Amino acid sequence: MSFREKSAWVMGAIMLATGLWYAQLVMAAPQAPVIGPLIPYVLAVIVLSIVAQVILAIASPKEADSPADERERAAIDRAGYISGLVLGFGVITAIIMHIGGWSAALLVHAIVGALIVSTIAEYALQIFYFRRAIR
Amino acid sequence: MSKRPPITNRVRELREEHEKMSQAALGEAVGVTRHTIIAIEQGRYSPSLETAFRIARLFGVGVEDLFGWEGE
Repeated sequence: MSFREKSAWVMGAIMLATGLWYAQLVMAAPQAPVIGPLIPYVLAVIVLSIVAQVILAIASPKEADSPADERERAAIDRAGYISGLVLGFGVITAIIMHIGGWSAALLVHAIVGALIVSTIAEYALQIFYFRRAIR
Repeated sequence: MSKRPPITNRVRELREEHEKMSQAALGEAVGVTRHTIIAIEQGRYSPSLETAFRIARLFGVGVEDLFGWEGE
């Protein structure tokens, strides 16, 4: 497994775990100020991502140091394009729900949720394209 | 999107003819990862023209001797 695929697995797992935790925090108090669950969530993602990337880089220093090659870039670009569509769909849906009566707090949580889902989709698609034929 | 490219290649064959050069060594020589060399050999990825030329020049053959169209 390449360094970038390992990284995608680890980052996907971090985003999934922290995303579920964020959803739990929001569902426990849906009308509470947005900042309540958002700050610990953002801090957790930053800290876990840094720790994971440092561990991966220590395990494969040479690969961590080299830039993505042409096949990896193609996979990353395509995954990014599709995850962008996922994010756009989520944000538009959240705005429509807000117009339909959702509070501003729920709008923010829905947009953060769309960002989390699109990021998970991005890592999952990267893994898919790293493994499958791409052109 | 994930269909195999209809391009065949002799990368593995030429690599083995060149003192069984490793996939990692070939990747390093042409500027791609070992995993990309594996994907090329398995027909899962068609390299860029630049990489195709780099591999061909390394083995001292023409690009058309290295890559072919499926069924031809």
